[in-house]
Formats: sequence, C-alpha cells, structure tokens
Amino acid sequence: MKKGSQLTLVSATICALALLASGCGGGSDTKGAQQSSSSQSSNNTVISVHGCEPAKPLIPSNTVESCGGQVVDAINSKLVRFDDQGKAHNDLASEIKGNDDMTQYKVTLVDGRKFSDGTPITAKSFTQAWSWAANVNNGQLASSFFANIKGYDDLQKQGAPADGQLSGLKVVDDKTFTVDLSSPSSTFPIQVGYTAFAPLPESFYKDTKAYGENPVSSGPYKFESWQHNAMVKLRKNTTYKGDIKVQNGGIDFKVYTDVAAAYSDVQAGNLDAIDTIPTSAQKTFMTDNLVQGYNKPGSVLQMFTIPTTMEHFGQNEEGHLRRQAISMALDRKMLIDKVLGGLGVQPTDFTAPAIPGYSKNLKGSDNLKYNAKKAKEYWAKADAISKWPADKSFQMVYNADGGAKDFYDGMANSIKNTLGIKAIATPVPTFSEFRGNVNKRAYNDAAFRSAWSPDYPSPESYLLSNFASSAADGNGSNDGDYKNPKFDDLLKQAAKAKDTNEANKLFQQAEEILLQDMPAVPLYYANNKGASAKNVHGLTLGWNSYPNFAELSKQK
Amino acid sequence: MGKYLLRRILQMIPVVLGTTLLIYALVFALPGDPVAAMFGDKPVNQAVAAQIRSEYNLDKPFIVQYVLFLKNALTLNFGNTFAGQPVISVIGRAFPVTIKLALMAFVFEGIFGVIFGIIGGLTKGKWSDNIILVLSLLLISVPTFVTGFILQYLFGVKWKLLPATAGANPGFIDLLMPAIVLGSVSMASIIRLTRTEITSNISEDYVRTARAKGMSNRSVIMRHVLRNSLIPVVTYLGADIGGLMGGAMITERIFNIQGVGNTLYQAILRGEGTLVVSIVTILVLIFVITSLLVDLLYAVLDPRIRYA
Repeated sequence: MKKGSQLTLVSATICALALLASGCGGGSDTKGAQQSSSSQSSNNTVISVHGCEPAKPLIPSNTVESCGGQVVDAINSKLVRFDDQGKAHNDLASEIKGNDDMTQYKVTLVDGRKFSDGTPITAKSFTQAWSWAANVNNGQLASSFFANIKGYDDLQKQGAPADGQLSGLKVVDDKTFTVDLSSPSSTFPIQVGYTAFAPLPESFYKDTKAYGENPVSSGPYKFESWQHNAMVKLRKNTTYKGDIKVQNGGIDFKVYTDVAAAYSDVQAGNLDAIDTIPTSAQKTFMTDNLVQGYNKPGSVLQMFTIPTTMEHFGQNEEGHLRRQAISMALDRKMLIDKVLGGLGVQPTDFTAPAIPGYSKNLKGSDNLKYNAKKAKEYWAKADAISKWPADKSFQMVYNADGGAKDFYDGMANSIKNTLGIKAIATPVPTFSEFRGNVNKRAYNDAAFRSAWSPDYPSPESYLLSNFASSAADGNGSNDGDYKNPKFDDLLKQAAKAKDTNEANKLFQQAEEILLQDMPAVPLYYANNKGASAKNVHGLTLGWNSYPNFAELSKQK
Repeated sequence: MGKYLLRRILQMIPVVLGTTLLIYALVFALPGDPVAAMFGDKPVNQAVAAQIRSEYNLDKPFIVQYVLFLKNALTLNFGNTFAGQPVISVIGRAFPVTIKLALMAFVFEGIFGVIFGIIGGLTKGKWSDNIILVLSLLLISVPTFVTGFILQYLFGVKWKLLPATAGANPGFIDLLMPAIVLGSVSMASIIRLTRTEITSNISEDYVRTARAKGMSNRSVIMRHVLRNSLIPVVTYLGADIGGLMGGAMITERIFNIQGVGNTLYQAILRGEGTLVVSIVTILVLIFVITSLLVDLLYAVLDPRIRYA
C-alpha cells in the first residue's frame, strides 16, 4: 500500500534479459562483471524477492498496482516486450503494421508459442481477452486501456451484452487479427506491451475466479502457488519459447506489509532482493556493507499541479509568469540532495530519463532550474498585471502517507525565501482522501501533488494522460484541467506519425509548450532504488521499476 | 452462579451490536473513496467504478449497508474482501497467528512479571529490588517500536541469532523475539504492580497475625501474601489479552507477522468496512469473554467474592 500511495506503478514488462547484455547494461562495472560470471554458471536456484499482497486476483486487466503487477507481468507474454532502455521489441507478434493514418493495425503472431496449459496462443486469445477486459460487466480496473479500440463505448454502456465483443477487433486467421481504432495512434504497438493486453487461454472464461487464484502462464515464469498474505511462488516456465533467458529456477515473492522489515531481511540474508528502499535506510543503503545497493534514474516524474482555476494562476500572461516564477524559485538540487539524499534527478522535461524520447535540451527547460533573480523578476512582472495580495499564501497540498512531508516543507521554504511571499505545504492524511478531493476538484485555489509513472514507455503516456484537453474535466488524469489547442494538435500529429522517432520529436515540441504554460511543475525524477543480498547477482530495475527477475541469480 | 453467567452472556449482545454499529459508522465516515483508490492515480472509469460499488453494496445508504452486513453476519456470511477473498478465510488466516503471538507474549509477561515482582517486593530496598525497578521503568518508558527495531537489528541482522522477521506460518523461534517485544511493556507493569501489592500486603495485620501464630515464612508468603497480591495482577493480565490481540499492530509490522494487527491496518487503509468490522467484532468478543473469565477467577483467588 505504501508503494501505491507513492506511485502506482501500473504497467510493465520484463526487460530484455541477459541475452541482450548490451541492452541490459547500464550497471556499474563491477556489476556487469558479476552478471557475466553468473550467466556462465546459470543455475536453478529460486530467488526470494520483496513482494506485497496483490490487491486483486491475478487477472492482467484487473491488476493496476505493483504488488500484483510484477507477478502478472512475469507470467504473461505480450505482443511486444521492452528492453532496459524501454524500447519495444516484438515478442508474441512477428509484425504489427499500421495503415496510412494509423487507425488500423494488422497484427501477425509468431509461430509455436503456447500457454503453460499446452493450448496454442492464437489471434482469438487476444481479441477475446481484450473484449472481455473492455466489457463493463466484468468490472475490470484497466478497462480504459482499450478505450481507443472501436466498439469500446458500446461495451461500456449499462446493459452491454455479457459476451459482447469489441467491434474493432477482427480475426483474420489463427495467426492474424486486425484492430480498428477510433482515433489515430502511432504508439499502439508500444501500448500493447502493457500487461492488460496479455492474451488469455480458453480456460480463463470457464472460471475466471479460479483463474485469478491459479493463472495459466504465457511468459518466462509459470505460476506455482499463492498463499495469501504470505507468498506467491513462480517457477521457470520450461515450455516458454520467447527471447527472455531465465537465470534462476524461479521467483518467490515474500509478502511484506512494511518495506523496513523486508530491508532488514535482506541485511540478515533472509531475502535475496528488494525493489524499493525504506525511508529509514535511504541515506545508508548505498554504503551499507550488508547489502548491494542499486540506484538509477527511473521513469517516475514527481510534479505538483497548479489548477487553471487558481486565482492569479490562470492560463494567461500573468499566470504563466507566476507559474514559471514558482518553478524557478524552487532550489531543486538542494532539496534532492538534502531531503531525498540524492535519490532523484533534476527534471529537464515532462517525461523521465528511462523513457525513449526523454530530452535534456528542450527550449524553455531553463524554467525548471533554480534562478532566484529571474523568479523575482517574473513575479514582479506578474504583480504589475495584477497584484498578489500580501496576506495570501501560496498553498501546496500533498498526501502525508507517502513520505512527501519534508520535501513539501522544503519547497514552501524555498518559495518563501526566494519570492518573499507566504507559502505553505498542507498535508492530507491519506492518499485515498487526497485523491478523492482532487477528483472532486476540491483544491481549486491551491496547488497539489501529482506524480506519474507511465503505462507504456512513450512520452505520450505522460503527456496525453496529464495535459490533453481530452483528459480534463474528470475524463482522465488532467487534474488541473489544462487546455491548450496547440498542445492538443501536436499530440494529434504525433499520433499519426510514421515511426517512433518522428512521434517523439512532435512530443518534444508539445513539451516545449508545457515548459511555458507550466500546467504542472516538475520537481524531480524519482530514482529506481533497490538492494540485494551479498551473494545475489544481477539486480536491475526496468523502466517500470520492476526488477528484471530473469536476470537474478545467486551463489549457494 | 448460573444466573450470573446468563446475565453476563446476555449483556454481550448490546455490547457487540453497539461496537459494530460504531465501527461501521467510523469506517463509513472515513474520508476518501475506496473504489476510486483501487485505480491508484490512474483515471477512474466511472462505469466500472459503479459496477464495483454495487457489487460491494457501497452505493447504498449507510444504514442499509449496516443492516445488510448484520443480516449476512447472522448466517456467518461476512462477504468478500476487495481482493475477492471470503472475509472469513482472511480472518481464519490472521487470528491463529496473532493468538500464537499473544499467548507467547502473555506467558512471557505473566511468568517473568510475577517472578521479578515477587523478588522486588520481598527484597524491598535492596540492590536486587533497585535493579528491577530501574529496568522496569526503562521498559515502560521506551516505546515498543524502539525495542522492536533495536532487538531486530541486534539479534536478527547483526548477530543473526534469531530470524529478523517472522514471515508466513511462523513457528516458536520466529515469534520468540516479537513476543518478547510485545510483552515487555506489560511485563514491566506487572513487575511494578506485583511488587507494590506485595510490599503493602506484607505489612498487613493478617500477615503479622499469621507470623505471630508461628506459621513458617514460606507458607505466610505463599498462602496469604501472594494470594491476596495476585488479584489485581490477574485483572491486569485479563484485560491485557485483548490489548495483546488488537494492539500487536506495531510489533506485527516490524517483524512482518501477517496477523490481526496487520490485516486490520491494511483493511482500514483500503476502507474495507466489512473486514474492519468483522475483525473488531471478534476482538470485542474476545475482550468480553476474557473479562468474564477474569471475574470468575476472582472467586477462586478470593473466597469472599461470591457471584449470585
């Protein structure tokens, strides 16, 4: 839960594994060496890792949190998989081909891949699974991921037929199906790497409840057992024919409710790896000689949103000046070093370093750097347009259960000291209460904490969900209700782009608009942090912050 | 006696009803929408959310939800958790673990508390008494999580003498350290309670009379002083069982014990009304029953007390 309240890590996919050593590099030199030595002595030891109790049965389209997410991700293959750089590679698909305006895709599957129950993975395994997930009768938490497929709205209406199928999906033959989209999407071939798009076997529909407790696998691991509140056991899937090379005999997810307890177990040698670091150890884990620490830039972007409704902060000249002034008034480096112990990276854009399309040199990225002089100047300019009342506080609301207190207090001080205005950080006890208020738009005259972990490794996941007009007014995560037709238009162009590079260029242009309008102020990229016991090799965390399980190995 | 028992048992009904209503209302009043929280910080699909709400009766008014809960509870059907598991099986997993832990802590604090209390009381003012006094004061003033983390680090991580955490299906060794941590504060209270009772009883007239009659010191202490001194200790121990069952939350988190405290904590975080109320109801029952047992024990310890 702690994890959920900090960042709900939705999607995922195991990175390209040891086989693609080039793609999975990035480790320190010593780690690289350990990795290669371990791959020679490939063994069948089971690795125990920190886990938490899945919030829902292990059904791909109903798993939107990391506890269940990392399990579901490890046992399911998707059309594409992602390497360590977040780049998509074909997995179950041999080709995903779009038409001219990217509204229709033809998907061809590779031969010979099977579910762990022995049945073949066919076109129907996908179309049926996606339709089932999109059907409102099944109440799937990830159903909105299918929103762009034609026929989705019909399946979301009250009284939709229980066995209704998405009209946009057509099976051509066993190995081929077509997808009709409601609007162009150049990132569709990336999106299908998200766990909710996993194929499901025929047996799933006979008893979905039983499946959720004992799922069939299509990935590098097969499910062995789930003892609730105690352990989820996965074993190497010997019938798996994909590209991921598994270096261990299986993964045991030991359930912890408190990461501090899990960290103590890694220190004591009772647990092999942990994918997060408790607050109490954040300053010490990289130098702790009882463990091997891991600390690399990740994909989570921490921000705070300034709603358009906030007085003096509207989307106009005065508002833009003030938003930029606030951003430049924040001494992010000091806060990251002092409060986060250096476990974050200063932002330069609206995505994150682990994402293809991330950029350090966008026009206007200076607005994300501490500059007291310019901040004061911009604030004064805005005051010339309309005066900020001397007794008014700039208020920032955050949830107190995610460990954000020190950072927000520090921000308030930084703004106070730089701009000479009143600034306060206001805590709300729980994440659930906080999100409830945000959804009700209760903070219309205060800034509030926001964070994003992408659903698929593309700038689109950050931009479309958080800043597009279509996601405003309660239709998505654009909680500040930011609307800019120019920005929307660039996203639309990117959706029709012919390839990922072209799309990413357009996304970057769109981000340059955001750097001026500043609908939300980026604070830092949260690092992926983890630790493993002394005798464990190959711990790396993927773009989705999940460990690359297949790479873990251990000396007895 | 029989009449007294019946009356006490009948009294339990309004107590249980009252607490369930109160707890249900409190959980209901918790701010935040549990269904929206399931989506994390992803957009909430309203159609799906409505589907989930109706599945768990969350779309109905408070009093209807409560009555439905009661009706189902009478047939021992406590419904399902948000994770789709029967509440009864969640409880069935959590309680045995906590009962084991609470019993170990109970035995630990009872035995050591009384023994050290007696030593302190009988050697009042001597060095042994002073050491016991200072140590018990220390234990009372240090919060459980401090003792917990320190013992965990020393015995679990540094010296590796005991498992650092208990984990699933814990055995005696796994629960030894948590039980000591959990029982330590109560043990210190029991030491002080026993010690004070003994020092005050030992100077009572009846003790002097007994000694004057030539009774051996041993039987004076065992038959008169101890028996009278232990009545408040038994009361304390009885009340503490409930506390040990429900109050193990901190200890359970530190040592990763998947018991009642941890389950309750997570249920509250998720806003799972039925799970919270079901667990609390059982805790209330345990509390009521143990206090009844304690009252009955009085009669054994003190023949002057009679129930009618």
